Amino acid sequence: MATPTVLKFTNISRTFGSVSAVKSISLEIKRGEVIGLVGENGAGKSTLLKILAGVVQPDEGQMEINGVQMKFSSPNDSVKAGIGVVHQEQSLFTNLTVAENLDQRNSGRIGYKNWARLNSQATAALKKIGIDLDPKSKISDLSFVDRQMVEIARAVSIDPDMKGTPLIILDEPTAVLEQNETAVLEHEIKKLKEFASVIFVSHRLDEIMRICDRVIVMRSGKIVSDKKTGEVTKQDLFRDMAGGVSQTAHVDRNRSPAGAKPAIEVKGLTRKGKFKNISFAARPGEIIAFVGSNASGREAVARAVFGAEEYDSGSIEVKGKAVSHWNIRKAVKAGLAYIPSERKVEGMIAGMSATRNVALVHQGDGATGPFLRLRRLATAAQTWFDRLDVRPNLIALPLISFSGGNQQKVVLAKWLNSPHINVLLLDHPLRGLDVGAAQTVDAQITKACEAGAAVVLIPDTIEEALEMADEIIVMRDGEISARHDLRVKHSLTLQDIVAEMV
Amino acid sequence: MTQAPGPVAGKTEPSGLFAAADVTRKIRRAISWSALAPPLVFIAMLLAVSVLNSNYLGPLGISIATATAAPILFLALGQSMVLNIGSIDLSNAAIALLGALLLALALPPMGFGAMIVVLIAVTVIGAINGAVIGYAQVPSFALTLGTLAILQTAALVVSGADTIYVTENREIVSTLFETQIFNAPLTFWIGIVMAAIFWAVLRYTVLGQNMTAMGKNELAATLSAVPTSRVRIIAYALSGFMGGLAGLSIVAQSGSASASGLGSDLLLPGIAAALIGGTSISGGQTNPLNVVFGGLTVGFVPIAIQAMGLGAQAQSLVYGIFIILVVALTTVRSRETVIK
Repeated sequence: MATPTVLKFTNISRTFGSVSAVKSISLEIKRGEVIGLVGENGAGKSTLLKILAGVVQPDEGQMEINGVQMKFSSPNDSVKAGIGVVHQEQSLFTNLTVAENLDQRNSGRIGYKNWARLNSQATAALKKIGIDLDPKSKISDLSFVDRQMVEIARAVSIDPDMKGTPLIILDEPTAVLEQNETAVLEHEIKKLKEFASVIFVSHRLDEIMRICDRVIVMRSGKIVSDKKTGEVTKQDLFRDMAGGVSQTAHVDRNRSPAGAKPAIEVKGLTRKGKFKNISFAARPGEIIAFVGSNASGREAVARAVFGAEEYDSGSIEVKGKAVSHWNIRKAVKAGLAYIPSERKVEGMIAGMSATRNVALVHQGDGATGPFLRLRRLATAAQTWFDRLDVRPNLIALPLISFSGGNQQKVVLAKWLNSPHINVLLLDHPLRGLDVGAAQTVDAQITKACEAGAAVVLIPDTIEEALEMADEIIVMRDGEISARHDLRVKHSLTLQDIVAEMV
Repeated sequence: MTQAPGPVAGKTEPSGLFAAADVTRKIRRAISWSALAPPLVFIAMLLAVSVLNSNYLGPLGISIATATAAPILFLALGQSMVLNIGSIDLSNAAIALLGALLLALALPPMGFGAMIVVLIAVTVIGAINGAVIGYAQVPSFALTLGTLAILQTAALVVSGADTIYVTENREIVSTLFETQIFNAPLTFWIGIVMAAIFWAVLRYTVLGQNMTAMGKNELAATLSAVPTSRVRIIAYALSGFMGGLAGLSIVAQSGSASASGLGSDLLLPGIAAALIGGTSISGGQTNPLNVVFGGLTVGFVPIAIQAMGLGAQAQSLVYGIFIILVVALTTVRSRETVIK
């Protein structure tokens, strides 16, 4: 094997206080390899990536990049060594052009801007990864997947004069992409292989299996498995990640009592330019999944049903009663709950304690009239923390100090604290969650269903819809393009649905 | 230009348990610092004054400082409630001045009822501020800057640009100033009582929880069914009411009111006291009890300046330096919100 080694870790360790985040990691990545890195939140993936990005310095061990021993003291060193990181949440300047974002050498300098040079360099960088974008276009005008491409171009175009092989780290790049966009990204990664090595982090094992040559599983700061993709199955990976616990079984259909009145019925809901003539009904215990691309308008439908966005015509009935002058306050009073997809921005009060976040919507017996009973609020929060296994089990911490999965558990607890939920609107409830947290959240959704809630789900993936839902509604360009009742139809496949989406 | 848009530089979002612990530590540090800073700043100031000239800390000094602090404290407490929901009220000092003028005019004919009428009027003015910001979706900075100008004009018109002396019934309000407990006027003690009430509201009521939630993340609060429009109106109404109390304390102290006299320059000290008291300019963080120290610190500034042998003109300079220092020291820099 004459393929040169791009990255070599020997016994890399790093501790934070008393916690050791990464324990004696050794690994090797060859030129042109695509490595899948999986593990639950807190398994040490982030720390490993941060070491590579020069954000965190290892306490022990050696790191060789392209055969040269390296010690990064800042992210700048990492960039110089040819490591480019694409983050899940994008870090582009949306008010600047593609070319300006790609220009890294000048970013810290004040002075005259040579637009011609800037644009030609950008064109070259974009060409290198084989995408066709106008370097003069503003980032804010680009679609999400195009922005992702610009991020990749930026990561790749670190230094055109560099001799070694660049190492590109994609940190959950697909978490917010839809199916067809993910396909574009997969195609790009294949092209990257020709001149770079890639570390691909994702919670979606299907993707890992499709894209990567090798999968590394981390658990508790250690590498627990490192195998060629062809030699492992999804179930193996699940087991390695969770340390023995396997994935939940397929849910039962038909939880809803026959002939029950719909918990929510939407008729002909229309908003100009967003969605048109949307009708559906969900009975207590039913899960209806809306699938479609980002532009399909399904998020806007969910928000309109929750009263967070307006609609021009059509009607919403909750428990058989038509609503008027619909707004969030009324929706919540009528027993609706909504988990938005942008958790940090819309779903939670990051700087407030977990206890107060749980008590934000429904205080239950934690309030007497306008007054709060702090001890009871704490008891309620503690009950939820124990029930949902929120870690660390410290209810007084501000919510921002928890990991994504645990934050989502608290967000869920906030709504489940209601005495009675009629309709649960879930926009990407599992986005960015590790397997364990996703299982907890899924179990709570099922439990809410059993307690009589109707669920309207906007899933991350079509697989999720096929697994969870009683009915799948496919949306395209703001309209419903197909409906599938999974209680009567069992032969539905992913391909069928993708065809209806585009 | 220090934050270069490198692929990694701007992006150290904590994910995972260990990074989270790191953030927690940072936040804890910030919280404990901002909780202790206001009393520490005040004590430091007292020490400085006592070293320079301990005579200034006698009964007379305390009496003067707390009298100066009283209207500032009222304004700062109202401002803190508004800052806490993520907005700002630039009109509160103008409300105080207009309130003082109205009170001076209404006291002779109406007696005790004048106080109640004026307090209701200024509360309504505050509520209107809040309502317009909510329904017209105007940034609070711009809107209250507008009301500031309008109210100043109103004050000039009402007073005819003259000083209005309380010719009758003066004792109804002046008792509030002349009654001194531990060398501090009653108005100052009322300020402390108000601080305690506000502290309890923020901590022990649904309204207070909603206010803080709104200040930390208005969008998430809205999506959690927090009645943000109502909360905003209440916060501004409180600010108006506190402006009224500030006006009351001015009339109580001087027995008169004028558009350019005592209390005409309280906007800056009021904001300074709120910030020195640990209130975050970007919303979602305040402790009214600490704002008392902010008010005291600002109230002692004139005395400290005298003790240092500087001219009275240096007052605004000191407030300015204080604001910059305190904000620089206590701002939690991880917050990415912009003051609205």
